[in-house]
Amino acid sequence: MTTGNPEKVALSTTSPAPRPRSNGKPDNVLAAELTRLLGPKKVLSNLSERMNYRYDAIQFGATPLAVVLPESTADVVTAVRVARAAGVPVVGRGAASGLSGGAAPTLPGLVISFTRMTRLDIFPERREARAQAGVVTLAVTEKARPHGLIYPPDPASFRTSTIGGNLGENAGGPLCFKYGVSGDYVKELEFVDANGDVHELTRDAYDLAGLLIGSEGTLGLITEATLRLTPPPKFTRTLMASFPEVGACAEAVSAAIAAGAVPGKLEFMDQACTNAVEDFLAIGLPREAGAVLLVDTDGDDLETVEEERALVEAACLNAGGTVRRAATDAESAALWQARRSVSPALGRIRPQRMNEDIVVPRSALPEVVREVRALGDASGLPLVQFGHIGDGNLHPNILFDPRRESPEAVHDLAHQIALVAIRHGGVLSGEHGIGTMKRSFMRDAVDPVTLGALRDVKRALDPAGTLNPGKILPDEEGTHAHP
Amino acid sequence: MNHDIPTQDIGPQGEVMAHAVDACVHCGFCLPACPTYALLGDEMDSPRGRIVLMKEVLEGELPLEDAAPHLDRCLGCQACVSACPSGVPYGELITSFRGWSEPRRERSPFDRAKRAAILKVLPAPKVFSLAARAGQYTKPLAPLLPAALRAPLDLLPEHVPAMQPSPRVTPARGRRRGRVACLAGCAQQALAPNFNAATLRVLARNGIEVVIPEGQGCCGAAALHTGARDEALRLVRRNLAAFDPDEYDAILSNAAGCGAGLKEYPVVLHGLPDEEQARAFAAKVQDISEFLAGLLREGDLDPPMPTSRPLTVAYHDACHLAHAQKIRLAPRELLRSIPGVTVAEVPEGDLCCGSAGTYNLEQPLLANELGVRKAKNILSTRPDLIVSGNIGCHTQIQSHVRRSGSRVPVLHTVELLDLAYRGEL
Ligand SMILES: Cc1cc2nc3c(=O)[nH]c(=O)nc-3n(C[C@H](O)[C@H](O)[C@H](O)COP(=O)(O)OP(=O)(O)OC[C@H]3O[C@@H](n4cnc5c(N)ncnc54)[C@H](O)[C@@H]3O)c2cc1C
Ligand code: SF4
Ligand code: SF4
Repeated sequence: MTTGNPEKVALSTTSPAPRPRSNGKPDNVLAAELTRLLGPKKVLSNLSERMNYRYDAIQFGATPLAVVLPESTADVVTAVRVARAAGVPVVGRGAASGLSGGAAPTLPGLVISFTRMTRLDIFPERREARAQAGVVTLAVTEKARPHGLIYPPDPASFRTSTIGGNLGENAGGPLCFKYGVSGDYVKELEFVDANGDVHELTRDAYDLAGLLIGSEGTLGLITEATLRLTPPPKFTRTLMASFPEVGACAEAVSAAIAAGAVPGKLEFMDQACTNAVEDFLAIGLPREAGAVLLVDTDGDDLETVEEERALVEAACLNAGGTVRRAATDAESAALWQARRSVSPALGRIRPQRMNEDIVVPRSALPEVVREVRALGDASGLPLVQFGHIGDGNLHPNILFDPRRESPEAVHDLAHQIALVAIRHGGVLSGEHGIGTMKRSFMRDAVDPVTLGALRDVKRALDPAGTLNPGKILPDEEGTHAHP
Repeated sequence: MNHDIPTQDIGPQGEVMAHAVDACVHCGFCLPACPTYALLGDEMDSPRGRIVLMKEVLEGELPLEDAAPHLDRCLGCQACVSACPSGVPYGELITSFRGWSEPRRERSPFDRAKRAAILKVLPAPKVFSLAARAGQYTKPLAPLLPAALRAPLDLLPEHVPAMQPSPRVTPARGRRRGRVACLAGCAQQALAPNFNAATLRVLARNGIEVVIPEGQGCCGAAALHTGARDEALRLVRRNLAAFDPDEYDAILSNAAGCGAGLKEYPVVLHGLPDEEQARAFAAKVQDISEFLAGLLREGDLDPPMPTSRPLTVAYHDACHLAHAQKIRLAPRELLRSIPGVTVAEVPEGDLCCGSAGTYNLEQPLLANELGVRKAKNILSTRPDLIVSGNIGCHTQIQSHVRRSGSRVPVLHTVELLDLAYRGEL
């Protein structure tokens, strides 16, 4: 390993970030040099500013030494080169809505926050959008819609999250069951590597763009992307089904898909989720149900759309569910807003959570949700489940209050849930990434030879370990022993 | 959010703040709702960022003066509260924080004088009226003045109307259905005396006797939200003494900001001996639109006359109605109850107009950008009339709509109802 590899000095994610005092001027060489080259408007160096770039939606990390708010790819290049010369790590950041600690620095260094890189052009004739990294996800569809086009990837955070962050995590959303995830919509990528060189990738030859997508800012910084747009389906029908128990909900999903339904969206939430959201929106969700299923069937042929809805309905009734059809667009919009609000609404139950993101084969769904439920009940910790059940992508969340519940117990339960997924032939992350949260489970999920290959890829693209150190890949065995 | 706020040293307001910090899961859902984030695009000027800043200051990890510039830019519009699924009471946090931090602030003598002047003039209708008239004559000098002094002049209407004192009791007309007390408001009496006059006429017409209790004064919101907590407490207690909730069916305000302020009294007095009294008081407080929409739903509202031609009304949601008091439907229902009126929804309707109490005076540049954006959005609906339920928004919108060259009238919800009753629409 090269000297200065941050893994050697990585702070554990729980160690308190260093908190220097500031006098309002660039208080370190890095910030001073960046300010000299980029001007004061694009560089944040006050303590009050830097403190605000040390977290994402799940955890706090180290306070950066400086933050750059680039307006162009050239700014990113400058920033990366300065950081490299100074030997400090670089962390890319979008809206910091990530749920695996991806944008939270593990070491003090440079944070490049893309929120001001928001240029967005729509090319309706090519059905493409060209977006800078900081464009908010929803903005792409909003700007494309007048041209009769949409951008389907729709993470629940789509009002906040950025295209750069979406590609960093290969984000999915309710629509991904039928329409695929963020990565499926990328035609070209521009990125800046650890040296500060700019590359333009298409998906020919080696799919290097595919490698960058979902790499959580550890292989390169995405500055722009060309995205595929599609016409929206002409018809959409929404239904909500409620079930006395969460396993029955999963059975209905498996049965509906086996019967040939390909819904646009298939999402579920358990009782605690429904209640947390109902506290926020008060739209009359069934508080007593053990699980609620939300389904959209969609397409350009109304008959097929209705047929698919009937298939899903029958499967729900068979599994002991009660079905309600959304009568109006407003009603279905409210139901989908409910689903999108689940995750933050859980904050009403406990201030902290450990967020899982497992994906399991659909055939195993009923068993997995029941096993996870049982693990939660046995642990005594508040555990909730929701997710893109049509994809087999489940988000078991352990809610806790560090003052009341032991972090070890939380971590332990999270580990057991990860093992359930792996035992049933599933994987650790569907869309939220590994980040720091699930880094230590990687050894359970990936064999040592493959892990070695991943490390080789990382070294090839980022030999000095500058980019987002301490993420995804677990520490190499034995590295702690070296000075 | 994990924190180590020493609540025991801060007192009851410390609990209020710690609870809010605790509840935030830093998900960022509030970011797109925040006007300053929309303008500045950085985390320190977002709700989530401000919560972190306040936490760090309270924990002693960050000097107050480092955080202050970003906290000062907060409009207090509470759009973040509407957007937050975790139920973080951001409004209570920032208000309490401003009260806690103001005595600890270092301010320049000019700043101090300006703030003191605002807090003296705003709540005193007579002084305000005088100042406003004086201001009218200085208006031509405005382009020569620095932004901080120019802003208040820019906002003044071309014509400052004469004060119209309201009668202490306005009897109900026809069958008497109820009795309410009204907050007369302060700056509003000077800038838009017709708001109160229209309110009295509309209520009386609907069989409601209206009392304007003596001894009342400013609701205290301006003082509270600028951190002058002692002054605010004095004003709050004065109103608690003036209004006896048992005597009235409701205590009404026709200014969204004041109404929100009155409803906040229990939080202001949290942990103090008169907290219970504040609770009883706040339980009776309603916005005028809430109260009238209640009559409408009961079938008790005297039907307004149809307009002489179809009218498109752009309704502007005042932050302190929509976000702070969660009142969106009531004013729209009232407007739609006038035959011939179509209500137009304003694009980016949830984004503050930039008025926000004293914001125009304290952050003139940001306030101006938001005002321009709001006027553009409103006018994009091609309205015949513009309606809002708050004096602050009214002045700001009127000023920016005029500056963009449009003559579309700007009215209060009750003014429109009043005109409809008189068959003048
Ligand atoms: C309430 C809530 C609901 C969510 N629902 C979903 C969901 O349904 N589906 C889903 O997939 N996710 C979901 N997420 C997670 C999160 O919103 C997504 O992962 C999103 O893609 C993150 O985007 P961001 O802009 O916030 O990125 P950030 O959180 O800022 O960053 C995420 C990762 O990408 C890296 N990164 C950021 N920008 C760049 C760049 N330009 N180049 C290279 N790397 C970069 C960062 O270093 C980090 O590792 C949810 C989050 C929340 C809070
Ligand atoms: S939406 Fe609420 S919980 Fe989320 S960051 Fe904003 S204030 Fe905190
Ligand atoms: S109150 Fe308004 S300005 Fe202040 S943080 Fe919330 S949304 Fe932003």
